[in-house]
Amino acid sequence: MLSPVELAIAVPFLAAMVLAGAGRWLPRVVVDAVAMGATLAVTGLLGAVLWEAVRYGTVVVWVGGWRPHGGVSTGIPLVADPFATALALVVAVLTVAALLFSWRYFTEVQAVFHTLMLLFLGAMCAFALTGDLFDAFVFFELMSAVAYVLTGYRADEARSVHGGLNFGVVNSLAAYLSLTGIALLYGRTGELGFAAVGEQIRAAGGPDTGVRVAFALVCTGFLVKAAAVPFHFWLADAHAVAPTPVCVLFSGIMVELGVYAVARTYWTVLGGAEETTARALAVFGGTTMLLGGVMCLLQRHIKRLLAYSTVSHVGLLVTCVALARADALAGGAFYLIGHAGVKGALFVGAGALLNRFETVDEHELRGRGRDMRVTSCLFLLGGLALAGLPPGGMWLGKVLAEHAAPHGWWWLTVLGVLASGLTGGAVLRVWLRVFRGAGRRPAGQAGEREAGETAAPTPRVPWLMLAPGLLLLAGGLLVAVLLSGPEVLRGARTFTTGYAGTVLHGRPSLAHAGRLPELWTASALVKGLAGVTAALAVAALAVWGRRVPPAARARPVWSALHTLHSGHVGDYVAWLLAGIVLFTLLVIV
Amino acid sequence: MNAVRGLRLCLLAAGSLGFAVLFTLAVLDLPPFGGNFHPYGDRAVRASLLRGTPNTVSSVNFDQRSLDTLGEELILVASALGAVVLLRAVRREEEDEPARHHLGPADVFDALRVTGYPLLPVTVLVGVYIVAHGQLSPGGGFQGGVVLGTALHLLYLTGDYPALARIRPVPLFEVGETAAAAVFVVLALAFAGQVIASNVAVGVEVGCAFVLVLAKFFEQALLIRVPA
Repeated sequence: MLSPVELAIAVPFLAAMVLAGAGRWLPRVVVDAVAMGATLAVTGLLGAVLWEAVRYGTVVVWVGGWRPHGGVSTGIPLVADPFATALALVVAVLTVAALLFSWRYFTEVQAVFHTLMLLFLGAMCAFALTGDLFDAFVFFELMSAVAYVLTGYRADEARSVHGGLNFGVVNSLAAYLSLTGIALLYGRTGELGFAAVGEQIRAAGGPDTGVRVAFALVCTGFLVKAAAVPFHFWLADAHAVAPTPVCVLFSGIMVELGVYAVARTYWTVLGGAEETTARALAVFGGTTMLLGGVMCLLQRHIKRLLAYSTVSHVGLLVTCVALARADALAGGAFYLIGHAGVKGALFVGAGALLNRFETVDEHELRGRGRDMRVTSCLFLLGGLALAGLPPGGMWLGKVLAEHAAPHGWWWLTVLGVLASGLTGGAVLRVWLRVFRGAGRRPAGQAGEREAGETAAPTPRVPWLMLAPGLLLLAGGLLVAVLLSGPEVLRGARTFTTGYAGTVLHGRPSLAHAGRLPELWTASALVKGLAGVTAALAVAALAVWGRRVPPAARARPVWSALHTLHSGHVGDYVAWLLAGIVLFTLLVIV
Repeated sequence: MNAVRGLRLCLLAAGSLGFAVLFTLAVLDLPPFGGNFHPYGDRAVRASLLRGTPNTVSSVNFDQRSLDTLGEELILVASALGAVVLLRAVRREEEDEPARHHLGPADVFDALRVTGYPLLPVTVLVGVYIVAHGQLSPGGGFQGGVVLGTALHLLYLTGDYPALARIRPVPLFEVGETAAAAVFVVLALAFAGQVIASNVAVGVEVGCAFVLVLAKFFEQALLIRVPA
């Protein structure tokens, strides 16, 4: 009998195969029902596993019964610790939302869309749950292969194929680098499991230069998926063209899984808390926060804007990993879940605009969304939540990360306010322009038209499309209230300590539940309000500020940034190589 | 434009050089070539003998690390689906009926015809043999599946496209591919170590997937065109 952990991987794959084989003959409603049923089943299974992991400790399942003897095994473990399981659960919940949104979705090509969504779900769950480095690579590849296809799904538009191609080239190259790193680690240790590799390295007296280079290479692949600067170029190209429900999954969890994999590798292979690695991650995380925020504000294509805001937020997650403390990771968890909800909701809102007006160009849409109350609400609250409105998960996450930061990390607070202001401000600007018709008509050429994603434009957005947005937004805003802080902290401690002992030697994994800093303090609320104020100021300046002098003077900088994000895949590859070298140097020197 | 290109090449050169240096550093720290430090290999051989699987590679593929193989299988399925999605005839393109064309090298030499047709059953036989013998010798579902999948295309090389289209009804191969993949999902997770059954499932899946992918390529190359 399969364990619930294995079933959570088997169910979506089996359902995907049923739909791929029989989709040609099944009516649409059956296809929808099978996909939704399988996803709900996975959600239930993972919920049960999470409850068990939180209550009784990490669930370890060796596929095929290859349990270790004396701490060694040749098999592959699935390790359902609270964090990994919670991530897989986020994947499942977002997939439910995405499938709800696509209930009325275009029906081309049999049931291939649903098949791909189920394969994506299964691949991401397996990637989160596996305890084996090579197995993680395999499911990373599966996840990527499906993601390329989903990006280029609307193949009749050249832009879609272009976006999918850029995504494919950059991510495949990154995957080869990860594989090279894995091969180097295997050559050194003769092991492939996260826990086993780590044990061998500790036994050999800790990581040396060779191990660090290998680690950096493995992480590069994951950082490309996480869209850390300068590996972030593919993300906006892919998000701008991918179907809306796919964007919900891309931004909400796929990108974040890259950060998770970096963290997992960092703690299991290097043991966490390495000064040089912390520095490397902090440099990359900080740059990503800032550049993502600036690029976000510079966009007028709403999906592209949301994509860059994801880049910025991932920067904070990378910085949480750099802090290498359990309480920072707990903050990262709150931030991730809050972001998944809010960003999912915002993409649903963007999808509603696209289906009604066949464009998501902010300038084209000016004032046209006045009668869309629910969508307007999604953008307003979503913008505020991105800026860190209490009690949203993103507020709490940022407060916890800043609380965990040591003295020299004053820049984190500054960057935190900047990133909140820029990303939240950009979304609030969209809200002001599109839904309130605020400001003058911006000069510049007309935006391009895009095909909607439904059979015909939807003058009234159906509730079935908006409901997932509202639910996700509510979830993202109430995370801090809904989740038990001490349990999240305990999950973070389980993540950072005793992994090898639990996986290889069956030792109990339950860490002590710690105490989180007091949440509802004046200073935490002020931090939240600072972000919100910054966002409001940015939005107001962008809409009503007439040629603010500093912004006008910085025009060469903006145009240089635009040139940098050229859409030329050769540029992306050059940056990829340069980024690897920089990251590796920071890790080893 | 040239300046941008120059900058790109400089960045690429610097990155490549740096990467080469760092990679060399890492390789220098590897154990020396030809040593006898193979902890995983030693354990895998012992484990495969313990479970009575004569071929260690098969034991690793279908028993000890069956989850990896499952992922690789599904990558192939996903890629075949990708070909279906990305290469479909989109709005501005038209698709011809295969029967309207005698597409392909219909005017081949008789000598080629005489060797080509008899080779078809032989190739199928070789494919089946490689699949079936996978638990004893190197080979198995992946390799045999590729041979099987390409065997049918001898009909195109020696005959013409309509002949090929007749013997590979796409829906049937879709069902074959996905049913085999579904069986393998169950085998890999619940019955790891069933090497023969796994090889058959993989062989059918890989063979069908190859036929489907190539079918899409043929359509794209021969049938789909943009109207003038």
